Amino acid sequence: MNAYIDIILLALIVSNLLLLGFSQIRSCINAVAFQGVALGALPLLAAAGGVSVWAALLGAFTIGLKGVIFPRLLLHAYREADVRHEVEPYIGFTASTLAGFAALAVSAWLCSRLSLFGGDLSSLAAPVSFFMVFVGLFVIVSRKKAISQILGYLVMDNGMYVFGVVMLREMPLLVDLAVLMDAFAAVFVMGVAVYHINREFDHMNVDQLDRLKG
Amino acid sequence: MNAPAMMWMLLPLPILCGLACLACGSARAVMFTVRAGVLASALAAGVCVGVVHVGGPASAAGGWLYLDALSSFHLAVMMAVFSLASLCLPGHFRGEMRDGSFGPEQARRFGGLWFGALAAMTLVLVSNNIGIMWAGIEATTLVTAFLICTHRTPESVEAMWKYLIICSVGVAFAFMGTLLAGAAANGLDIPAPEALLWTRLRQEAPRLDPVLMRAAFIFLMVGYGTKAGLAPMHSWLPDAHSQAPAPVSALFSGFMLNTALYCVMRYLPLAGGASGHAGWSLRLLLFFGLASILIAASFIFLQNDLKRFLAYSSVEHLGIIAVGLGLGGLGTFAALLHTLNHSLCKVLAFCAAGRLGQMYGTHDMRKMAGALRAAPVWGGALSGALLVLIGAAPFAMFLSEFLILRAAAAGGSYWTMGLFLLGVGIVFMGALRHAVGLAWGEPVMEPEKERAGGADRVLVVVALGALLLLGLWIPGLLWRMIEDAVRIVEGAS
Repeated sequence: MNAYIDIILLALIVSNLLLLGFSQIRSCINAVAFQGVALGALPLLAAAGGVSVWAALLGAFTIGLKGVIFPRLLLHAYREADVRHEVEPYIGFTASTLAGFAALAVSAWLCSRLSLFGGDLSSLAAPVSFFMVFVGLFVIVSRKKAISQILGYLVMDNGMYVFGVVMLREMPLLVDLAVLMDAFAAVFVMGVAVYHINREFDHMNVDQLDRLKG
Repeated sequence: MNAPAMMWMLLPLPILCGLACLACGSARAVMFTVRAGVLASALAAGVCVGVVHVGGPASAAGGWLYLDALSSFHLAVMMAVFSLASLCLPGHFRGEMRDGSFGPEQARRFGGLWFGALAAMTLVLVSNNIGIMWAGIEATTLVTAFLICTHRTPESVEAMWKYLIICSVGVAFAFMGTLLAGAAANGLDIPAPEALLWTRLRQEAPRLDPVLMRAAFIFLMVGYGTKAGLAPMHSWLPDAHSQAPAPVSALFSGFMLNTALYCVMRYLPLAGGASGHAGWSLRLLLFFGLASILIAASFIFLQNDLKRFLAYSSVEHLGIIAVGLGLGGLGTFAALLHTLNHSLCKVLAFCAAGRLGQMYGTHDMRKMAGALRAAPVWGGALSGALLVLIGAAPFAMFLSEFLILRAAAAGGSYWTMGLFLLGVGIVFMGALRHAVGLAWGEPVMEPEKERAGGADRVLVVVALGALLLLGLWIPGLLWRMIEDAVRIVEGAS
């Protein structure tokens, strides 16, 4: 079991580093969709005492929402908005990827300080979780497009999902589902917000949202 | 009916009322449903608060729903805020209903979201599970986002986006904190269904991993602090408050910010217990509180836009509450009293600001000079509310701020005292000129004629009367309620 979880966590690290380097919004959405599918396998592998119905349900729900529905919603919003296809970062792609490596190192250091390496399933879970939170935050602040900010939020959310599922195996299913539903609502509401931004401003660049001051 | 059964009612009631709003045929019917629904919810909440006050903490649904003195005090404040804000709703939208800019469709959406906000905040207060409590806070963000752009303009859409992104990301940090708090209890053999229950974690507080709990509290403080509008994470707040319709701003300032601070209060006994009451969590609160007071004061001093002024004033007052909590003991008592005072006063202030804004066609306070004579009800309400907000005696906020100062002096925190006085002093000077100008200044503009209905007058009289009364005398019932709540924040079972 342990080895499979580690493989998934490594795949998540790679997908995040790729996300930082991708220049097309469509590729970024695909990277986040891949993460959603990978995350769906985690509850099954981490389930205490074999695969239970609840773990299977959570896994299926996760793949459905994070792997299929979110990416579709985002692709729809992106097509409707009819904008340029590049993500338009403030910080270049090479520098972003290097920042990703730095975030990985910082997460590892932070988890050793908090003595969080000792999870009985995988020693990688906590560092990967923090790494994804940092990457998500970086994407939110370093990209101009509103849709990139939603992607950043999703990556953050995915990171916390890793922590919740692998480190806190006793977390009740109801809480997991409530958190997933919140994420769903968040993506939906943000998607609608992007639509309104596009309609009111004829663009979706958040750096140009600067009417309110003082 | 017993307490657990009533607690079951608290959540479905607003949801049903929200659905009823969606089925209404006209804007007027929506307004009626809002008032009736909020009244029914307030009655149900009132019974629960009474039962908890007499019989102690109550729980339902296998311990997942839980009401104690702390949550029932906040429940009472929330219902007061919702009731007062709902009173001023029809008057606020009357003109817009007539000119068609607030038609049945907008009204239905508004009513649904209004009750959605009530349901989400209730969920935060009655949840014993810290994960569900978090989900409730995130839900308040998502539900209220569209209330900001009830009238769709580029400015309101911009404000909504900033609110959504900053609060969602901030609250995500609080979720990381929630998970870390769960991880701090990992080695304690707590059975799965009770893993994230607050009552269980509080029992185990001395055995929680202190390092993880510390990390958790920092994440929680930043996360919930963002939603509570504490500086320096407050940047969404002035934009959202200034663009939302006034009754929505009243809800935001009056209680939504407090909901987030309530979550921080829940974690104080956990963080305190884990660290052997070393007090670092309280020092963190003091830091954010003082930062909020001083940063808000510097913006308030130069602010002429009425609604932005009130928004920064909320940052200041949430900072004052955080300082009170950070001082502990008498400070915690004063902080909870200040919560009630601030909530009552902000509802009144925002409702008045909204109506005066409609009459004058602007929110520039310099152009509203002499409003007391031109519009006695709302001008009087606003000047009165401003006096209360700056802590003028004998109103209620003077008392709670005085108690916080006394707590600081008793604890020997002279730096806190000095910085607190500096911030509050700057606000006093900055706001007093506006209050005087609004009351007795030379009129610059001729406003539309004031139309204040019976409900409007009730709102003004009740809120101002309560704020005056609470400054002179605190009823024994309220006193005991707050004392019970203080014991919970301080870590007693």
